[in-house]
Amino acid sequence: MTRHRTPRRRRLDELAPPPRIAAQELDAQLDLLDRQVLDRDRVQTTTVDDIELTDVADPANPDPARPPELTALLTGPVLGTRIFGGRPPESRFERIPWTDVSEMGTVIRLGVAADSLDATWAERWVRDRIIARIPGGTHDPQ
Amino acid sequence: MILSDLLRRPVFAADGEYLGVVVDARFALDGTRHQLLNSPRLVGLIVSPISRTSFMGYERTGVRAPALIAAWFRRRERGSFLVLWEDVASLKGTTVELRSRATLHSPRLAGDGRVEG
Repeated sequence: MTRHRTPRRRRLDELAPPPRIAAQELDAQLDLLDRQVLDRDRVQTTTVDDIELTDVADPANPDPARPPELTALLTGPVLGTRIFGGRPPESRFERIPWTDVSEMGTVIRLGVAADSLDATWAERWVRDRIIARIPGGTHDPQ
Repeated sequence: MILSDLLRRPVFAADGEYLGVVVDARFALDGTRHQLLNSPRLVGLIVSPISRTSFMGYERTGVRAPALIAAWFRRRERGSFLVLWEDVASLKGTTVELRSRATLHSPRLAGDGRVEG
């Protein structure tokens, strides 16, 4: 990793005031990452491990008028990479399209059922192939 | 592109001065309209001159409690700033380069639009 000279810490009075934005603002690390995701029936679905953005057409000269937009919440195996660095390949992430998100807050609410999402395939597989074969595994505990 | 591709990238001014690393990305819910919520549009990047991550966001909110912890994290994150997408000149390679005369904004979140939680 390249080491750079420690930059100067700017005082608050050296910075311009925050821009005025009419819409709701959210910071990815504070308001999205690691948030719990609930489906339309309030069933816990997953947590947000990363987010997908639209690609920048020309990274060497990004268009100021076309900022990237968030297209999907991603969930995947990030524990190892958070400890040791790097990130999993994009193919290892499961996508939840932003069009399925219905509400932002302490948790993220979806407008669809968890069973309809690819993100829950592992849980469904274990339920249908393993738990269901255990006697009593197909109904709620009495 | 995914967010991890942007986080922890070193940020340089147009004259080559090293300014810090990207610790967060700010969005506004005013992008493409959908039935449930508009797509979040990338407003800009939060850059920290010292730390490589941002923890709890004390430097961006008006939260002052618990006082000792708030004071510690505000001190740790002092000097952070927001740079708008319009001021990003290049994302080539693994760095972010800003345009000349890019404006560095306070990273404070506007109270009106804050997502509580």
